[in-house]
Amino acid sequence: MPHYIKIEMLRMFRNKRYVIFVVAFPVGFYLLYSNLWGSQVDKTTGLKGSVILMVSMAAYGALASSMMSSAVPWAQERQSGWLRQLQITPLSGWAIIVTKLVASLLLVLPSLLLVCLAAVLTQHVSLSVGEWAGLIGAMWIGTIPFVALGLIIGSLLPPDTAQPAAMVGMFGLALLGGLWFPLEIMPATMRSIARALPSYDYASIGWRIVAGEAPQLSSVLGVLGWGVVLGALAVVAYRRATVRA
Amino acid sequence: MNAIAFNDVTKSYGDVLAVDGLTLEVPVGRTVALLGPNGAGKSTSINMLLGLLRPTSGEIRVFGDSPSGAVARGDIGAMLQEGALIPELTVTETVEFIRRLYPNPLPLDDILRMADLTDLAKRRADKLSGGQTQRVRFALAIAGAPKLLLLDEPTAAMDVESRRAFWDNMRAYAAGGRTILFATHYLEEADENSDRVIVVARGRIVADGTAAEIKAGVAGHAVSFSLGGQSAAGLDALPGTTAVEIHSGRVTLRTSDPDATVDGLYRKTTLDIRDLQLHGADLEDAFLALTKEA
Repeated sequence: MPHYIKIEMLRMFRNKRYVIFVVAFPVGFYLLYSNLWGSQVDKTTGLKGSVILMVSMAAYGALASSMMSSAVPWAQERQSGWLRQLQITPLSGWAIIVTKLVASLLLVLPSLLLVCLAAVLTQHVSLSVGEWAGLIGAMWIGTIPFVALGLIIGSLLPPDTAQPAAMVGMFGLALLGGLWFPLEIMPATMRSIARALPSYDYASIGWRIVAGEAPQLSSVLGVLGWGVVLGALAVVAYRRATVRA
Repeated sequence: MNAIAFNDVTKSYGDVLAVDGLTLEVPVGRTVALLGPNGAGKSTSINMLLGLLRPTSGEIRVFGDSPSGAVARGDIGAMLQEGALIPELTVTETVEFIRRLYPNPLPLDDILRMADLTDLAKRRADKLSGGQTQRVRFALAIAGAPKLLLLDEPTAAMDVESRRAFWDNMRAYAAGGRTILFATHYLEEADENSDRVIVVARGRIVADGTAAEIKAGVAGHAVSFSLGGQSAAGLDALPGTTAVEIHSGRVTLRTSDPDATVDGLYRKTTLDIRDLQLHGADLEDAFLALTKEA
């Protein structure tokens, strides 16, 4: 299985769409935005814009990576016959989905780490070692609900609709979750939608950590709850997609 | 020991009966062709052998085990009709990945050589032609050194030269005492590359034997001549005649005894016989006769 994970990573790094949209975009937007608003100071937390934007763009990159590296390749493999190729080898069914999950999680790291690195190098953001570890750890493991959502999309839809569905889901979650614009400037209805989404809870954990505070219990439970629900649905959808008639 | 055993296997999709009470055994070490027109149930049978489809009724054993058990042990390798590769991976990466999933695989270099891929080893899958992709898929099928190799219309996307090379490679693999079952609707392929031909039509076996036996079993011979505008009445009563076919003024008499039929033709009819020809049955005739709608 480690070799299978390696193969999955290798192919994604060679995929231009993944590298451009998922790895380069978040870093690019961070560099742009932090130059525009990086020195503004948030009145409630006293944090600089460069720090808040680092969390937002890292969250966006992680979200994009976790959904795009799961939904689209998985839908393609089901349709192209590659899944059948795997099903007639001694590889077991659970090994396939576990590998997809692990590979997607590992593929989150480049987007996450590059945004943080850009923040350190260009905006001189500095956090304590504990804060860095907490931030990166939480923002990494916190992508499990999004990987699950990607696998659900990839299990249920053919590739030509899985691609737009994953894009819409990813941008929807990013926009409504407050990763692109702060929640405070949104209308009331959008704010209440945002608070129900895993992406807002997910980013909130990060924002709290960089402010030197413990994440709110509601955010942690939100991500956890979505993780359990979407994870269970992903298993059901995966079984449906691979059922032997 | 049988490599493959079907015991009264039926597979239906709703009202459509794809495989209808199939019973057959393939001993270890044989190369068997499953010959039949499209829709005969060949692919369904192969997918059931791989555990990708479940029989509606009946039982399938592969080396005495269930199909999924045999797949899990790495005893079966297969080249299915459809199957793309991962576009971003090279030939070597793809073959090595699949190879390592098996307990006792062939060495990488041997696989590449047996599938004529040595020169393409470093090429990415999205840069391969259709025929080259088929070679990689053959490489994936043999990578785990399976005791049973299943090939579902493996040469469909190949030109004549690639086909010849493909069957040479297959024979080389079979030479190690391995069992091979391949589906085809090409008569020549079945004739030239197998030591047993199972003809299937509408989900049932209609003939089973060597290519020579199947040819011999069907009506044997034919006598044909030009009829022009004359009446064909009474031709079916000629000695030995089993069937009369007329196409654009030319009569073909299927016969079990060509001498008697020709003798009768001259003695018992007043027809003006022109351009008389005698035919031994070929596999194509046998195939058409066997798979014709009843």
